[in-house]
Amino acid sequence: MADNILNAEPVRKRTRWKGLLLFLAVAGPGIITSNVDNDAGGIATYSMAGAHFGTNLLWSLIPIMVALIIIQEMSARMGVVTGKGLSDLIRERFGVKITVSLLFALVLTNFGNVIAEFAGVASSLEIFHVPKYLSVPFAAAVVWLLVVKGNYRSVEKIFLWACVFYVTYIVAGFLAKPDWPAIGHTLIAPSFKLSSESLGMIIGLVGTTIAPWMQFYLQASVVEKNIALKDYRLSRLDVIVGSFVVTIVAGFIVLTCAATLFKAGIRVETAADAALALAPLAGKYCAALFAFGLLNASLFAASILPLSTAFVVCEGMGWEAGVNKKFSEAPQFYGLYSVLIFFGAAVILIPGIPLFPVMYISQVLNGLLLPVILIFMLLLINNKRLMGSYTGKRGYNIVSWTTVGVLVVLSVVYLGSLLGI
Amino acid sequence: MATTENSIAEILDANVNLFLFFSDILGRPVIAADGSPIGRLADLKVKLGEPFPRVSSLAVRKRRRKGLWELDWRQVQDLNSRAVGLKPDAELGFRPLEVKNDEILLRDELLDKQVVDTFGAKIERVNDVHLLIVKQDLRLVHIDFGIRGILRRLGWLRALDAATNWLFAYQIGEKMISWKYIQPLLSDLVRGSLKLNVTSRKIHEIHPSDLADIIEELDTLNRSSVFRALDLQTAAQTLEEVEDPKLQVALIESAPVDRASDILEEMAPDEATDLLADLPEEKARHLMRTMEKPSREVIEELLQFKEGTAGSLMTTDFFAVGMDQTIGEAIEEFRKTTYPLESVAYVYVTDKDGRLVGVSTLRHLVICERDIPLRKLMNPRLVSVTPEDDADTVKDLFKKYKFLAVPVVDEERRLAGIITLKDIMQERFEE
Repeated sequence: MADNILNAEPVRKRTRWKGLLLFLAVAGPGIITSNVDNDAGGIATYSMAGAHFGTNLLWSLIPIMVALIIIQEMSARMGVVTGKGLSDLIRERFGVKITVSLLFALVLTNFGNVIAEFAGVASSLEIFHVPKYLSVPFAAAVVWLLVVKGNYRSVEKIFLWACVFYVTYIVAGFLAKPDWPAIGHTLIAPSFKLSSESLGMIIGLVGTTIAPWMQFYLQASVVEKNIALKDYRLSRLDVIVGSFVVTIVAGFIVLTCAATLFKAGIRVETAADAALALAPLAGKYCAALFAFGLLNASLFAASILPLSTAFVVCEGMGWEAGVNKKFSEAPQFYGLYSVLIFFGAAVILIPGIPLFPVMYISQVLNGLLLPVILIFMLLLINNKRLMGSYTGKRGYNIVSWTTVGVLVVLSVVYLGSLLGI
Repeated sequence: MATTENSIAEILDANVNLFLFFSDILGRPVIAADGSPIGRLADLKVKLGEPFPRVSSLAVRKRRRKGLWELDWRQVQDLNSRAVGLKPDAELGFRPLEVKNDEILLRDELLDKQVVDTFGAKIERVNDVHLLIVKQDLRLVHIDFGIRGILRRLGWLRALDAATNWLFAYQIGEKMISWKYIQPLLSDLVRGSLKLNVTSRKIHEIHPSDLADIIEELDTLNRSSVFRALDLQTAAQTLEEVEDPKLQVALIESAPVDRASDILEEMAPDEATDLLADLPEEKARHLMRTMEKPSREVIEELLQFKEGTAGSLMTTDFFAVGMDQTIGEAIEEFRKTTYPLESVAYVYVTDKDGRLVGVSTLRHLVICERDIPLRKLMNPRLVSVTPEDDADTVKDLFKKYKFLAVPVVDEERRLAGIITLKDIMQERFEE
């Protein structure tokens, strides 16, 4: 309780601290969403970008960051203003048929992503000589229990702590002793020599950074936090900080691989490949940190993806959902959540299953779904009945339509390249 | 549960003709008497007020015309799952769609939206709307929440029924609720206040704990509109039950100042104090100025105490009588206590200076002779705490003596308030 709120004592001095406290209360959704984004697939793509192109593509992370901020800001704004999740809004505005088909596609895509995350768990622990038959069931059980036995607040705290472990990539980056002046140079004066191969890589970077599930997750967790309209700018700050942090981490992954693998001319296809290849070049600590980072990222994403999927589906269909409910109160929620985790883990346990195509397919599905989701988002956020005076301003709308336009074109091109057209 | 069966019974004497689902006729062609196509059925407008309200008009999306066009339901000649046939010259009656506050559009405001089921005290999503043709009228009778509603709209219901029948000799059950238990919610920012289903079980008949759960689950817009629809006492009780302090603050801030301070007065003083302490200082001061003097003074006093002390936990709602009063007088006084006491477990006895000297229970007052003075009946052995005592000390007292309430006295042993078991339990749950 406050000492005495009737004492009109000057509070000016405390406002900065109060502002920080308030930010910490609002923060979380943006930072968590962005960090989960650096999952097994993301780390693989950043490693490849560094190993194959050195620091040449480092600059592309900056426009990607801007796009990430613009897209996520829309999700956060819709969440704060309407207090409803994205699937809820889609159901109310576009009806059952569209909702069911979208959710079906989302479940399929996210199931692919969950499999990819467990593949990340398996391959990162194989570096430490833990067989996948041990690591994957254990990871699945931990992830499942976390949500079934926890409550949202504690789960969110664990997620926020998991973000801290991304620091390992920054440490690994320093251990790799990159050529700092050269990096500064490429950032100030980037080379735009675009071959078809490097263009493909940039599209891959975009594709892995902006995924459909993120928009659903971010909006849902903003709603769950009950953020007041007047605190919206803090929510936006949360999104900006998150996108910034994620870009820094991605940048360090790129330059770690650029300073070592690119120089040695080693080509890699997965994040685990990269970690293994790092050991002789940058020392075993660097490689271990890299592998640990991959484990953390995969576990992190493996807990959030099924949770977010189950939540989004139940919200759209009108079923009870939420980690604060009991199993008997929300059977569909826990059912879907459990199925995604256990089948996702089971697929990885199939002896001799090739992991690379699994990740590849999940990326294709992401690329297919993203343009559709982005267009729905733009339609909703410009709906006066929903957003009132919080629809985008004209100038801002041009920017967001352009961003979405570019992203749609890129993801279609990416999809084409993945499918070999 | 309001099943289909018992509602049918209610309507039987009204000449049941035909049940149909809104999704079966939505989007069907609207055809003039001469068979020429006019447009498609875009919505139905229902006038609220009756237990099973009547569809008053239909909204049609006309060919090559913008917007929705409204036509009286009486102009409909014939309705089936293939088309809506109009009477001769019906076309003259078309006018641009207009919706008043006691009217509701089934598709725009009900279908796919969330509603409050006041019977089950929870929020449900509307998958379909069940209609009934009675004589010449089309009436709204049930809301479909079930998976069947979704399957029907996807067009998969028949196939799935055939499959489950063939495989398991089983059919997925209907999940419908009578309209009289439904309170629609707002679907967008433009509409200001709830369209009250006047014949429904009133929303404030729901238990405040359930109302708090419902409000926690709703979106921002509906939270404040549902909260606004509650009477002062229900609003106060609901606010006490809302667990998230941030949400409590948001709700009280969404109410106009007069209503907000009235609600605070209705709340238990300790709860109101906690809430005021969470509000921005400016707002809290403003609200306190608007409050009636007695409530304000109590809260001002409670606000003095630091968090984690007995003073911050206590409430000033207690029942005390003088030691020289008789039991009959005490009972009379108790009868005159109009505001709801938080705890009536104990009756506190004070001397003429207001110092606490003993305690009794309501049970003893009721069973003893009316002319005995309280000094003879009371138990003078007392366990009490001071406002500065630590909350943990108080908890230990409750644990040790299994009290329902403990009195709080100042340094001169004057009774300042009581701490109830409920307050202690809340404190423990929050940990």
